[in-house]
Amino acid sequence: MGETITVYLNDKAVSVPAGTALKDVLRSESSLPMPCGGHGKCGKCRVFVTGSVNAPTDEERRLLSERELASGVRLACRVVLNGEARIRTQEAVSGVRIVSGGVLPAYEPAPFFTQYGAAIDIGTTTLAAALYDPSGALLAKTSRMNPESRWGADVISRMEAARAGKRDEIAAVIRQALSEMLEILALEAGVTASAIDAIVITGNTVMLSFLYNEDTEPLTHAPFIANRLFGETVTAAFLGLTGPLPETKVCLPPCAAGFVGADISCAVLSSGLLSSDETAVLVDIGTNGEMVLSHGGELYACSTAAGPAFEGAGISMGMNGGDGAVDRVWLKEDGTLEAHVIGEREAKGICGSGLVDAVACLLKNETLDETGRLEEDPAVILPPVRLTGKDIRMVQLAKSAIHAGMRTLIGAAGLTPKDVRCLYIAGGFGNYLDIENAAAIGLIPEELKKNVRILGNAALSGASLLLLSKGLQEDVRTLAERIRIVELSANPVFAEEYMEQMFF
Amino acid sequence: MNTELLNEISLNLQQGKAKLIKELVQQAIDEGIPAETILNDGLMAGMNVIGEKFKNNDVYIPEVLIAARAMNNGAQVLKPYLAASGVKAKGKVCIGTVQGDLHDIGKNLVKMMMEGKGLEVVDLGSDVAPETFIETAINENCQIIACSALLTTTMDVMGKVVELANEAGIRDKVRIMIGGAPVDEAFCRRIGADLYTEDAASAADAAAAFCAEMLG
Repeated sequence: MGETITVYLNDKAVSVPAGTALKDVLRSESSLPMPCGGHGKCGKCRVFVTGSVNAPTDEERRLLSERELASGVRLACRVVLNGEARIRTQEAVSGVRIVSGGVLPAYEPAPFFTQYGAAIDIGTTTLAAALYDPSGALLAKTSRMNPESRWGADVISRMEAARAGKRDEIAAVIRQALSEMLEILALEAGVTASAIDAIVITGNTVMLSFLYNEDTEPLTHAPFIANRLFGETVTAAFLGLTGPLPETKVCLPPCAAGFVGADISCAVLSSGLLSSDETAVLVDIGTNGEMVLSHGGELYACSTAAGPAFEGAGISMGMNGGDGAVDRVWLKEDGTLEAHVIGEREAKGICGSGLVDAVACLLKNETLDETGRLEEDPAVILPPVRLTGKDIRMVQLAKSAIHAGMRTLIGAAGLTPKDVRCLYIAGGFGNYLDIENAAAIGLIPEELKKNVRILGNAALSGASLLLLSKGLQEDVRTLAERIRIVELSANPVFAEEYMEQMFF
Repeated sequence: MNTELLNEISLNLQQGKAKLIKELVQQAIDEGIPAETILNDGLMAGMNVIGEKFKNNDVYIPEVLIAARAMNNGAQVLKPYLAASGVKAKGKVCIGTVQGDLHDIGKNLVKMMMEGKGLEVVDLGSDVAPETFIETAINENCQIIACSALLTTTMDVMGKVVELANEAGIRDKVRIMIGGAPVDEAFCRRIGADLYTEDAASAADAAAAFCAEMLG
């Protein structure tokens, strides 16, 4: 490494050796998301750069417009700092919609804590937490983006970073975020964080592994066997959580498998799926679509790689559900499109719910045919927001993975979609999803749209139940053990369905 | 020569009419059209059109697979006639998804496109050990090893394939092609593979060109 240089990150001076990659500076100094993991593929880590840096790379020439390049826009992950430079990150997306737990179902009160208890859901994209008192009253809630996103939007990119030596750093970052959230909960409730004497933390297997600082390498390749499936109680000190006292109990609910995590165990617990005899499917639509089928006292589950299209990554103008995102699209009587933008301002991009609506509308007004070909490419949704032919292909891959997963799961139990009485949709996406449009584009089977229940953040609700009724901790353990995993990779039924459902 | 019939084969193949293709190919044989002509100007011509459309985003994975299914049906009928007239494959490829990775849709697409170019393809499936690629290439006299990966965490196995090929001293006889979502040109250079292609149709084009060059 050469001499030390000074760069200004949003006017803050930072000293680094010449030749340092900007992404390394950003990862320690900011939380700028790099959805593709900093590989120069997604084009989402745009920053303004002036000063002594490398020339734009091939990737940047491909992903950035002439105008952007001319005005100093760069992809943060491609920039090498050679001398003094100024970097400005774009305004953080404000007002992001994060769904926290809904109303809890009835439970037998038997708190896991004495003074105050906290429930936390570590989502791949967002973190959500809630604070309760022994009467079961919700005292405070807080949520934020998962800071691990600087190592990628999806779990594979993050596990790759962990394998490349970032494991301790990832653990430190998530532990700090959770510690801060515990402080915020206490502050909002007007108590001290040290009065929080028990915590339940749920999340998928990878998220819990990062928190635990467990090796995720076995989850990066087939046969995807996790080192640890949790279902245990440790202490705050063990997990490096500050705020509550070191000996504070922390319950980590059990995962069913490498890609069917504790968040799903918790979602099933809070959904009421078990207390009813009816055949039902629960689905969490995210980068990984996890789904559970309950039928005749049996539980079947699978996980399908939908990719992050519905979270905005991989879509040319995709973004998360924050200000400036097109979140609703509908057809006017003359067959043209009309759209709503979050924050009632100029449109900047399109989020998952808007994407589902937009594709459904383009199908309806016949701009898009059933094979996924756009009559005019790109299709304008609401200027400047548009969808390209490639974007449509990404949607096809994502929706087909979810839909085919559901059909395969239902088929594995010897049933057809007609036999399913109810579809539960967990996760933030469900709250904003137009079910008619979801069925129209084939994200869910047509037969399942008639009886849909939206659960909100069911993982957080489940964690809250485990906190407020400790007897359920045994139930959730049995539940996770009972779940039968239906393997989709190398499954010929899934492969066939996946092709079939790619059409609209 | 009944070019109209060959055209009909090509068009119906593009639409994936698998059953009809069988009948049309049989009809062409009965009319005395040479098997090789039916293959080149009927079946493969149709697959070429699909390949081009796929490259241009006009059709997507399902259409390619359906067309390939029709192609297979036609090729089945044609096979004994091709063998009888001494028509040989234009080259041989062994293909697989690398160890630790089970994603095989992309690999299957490439395989079908390559078959559409008249190449013989040995399909090793998914989760294929690096040694298996090398052994197969040697034992089956392949001109090309084609590796696919969808995970950033498994693509490094491709580097291992290159290493083993170097050790086996087969790099002058066998070309190594790589592909898959996380793979790119820079990665290809880094591990020392011969060629990266962006999509299935380009992979098939390049493979056909390689084989033509190597087999003369």
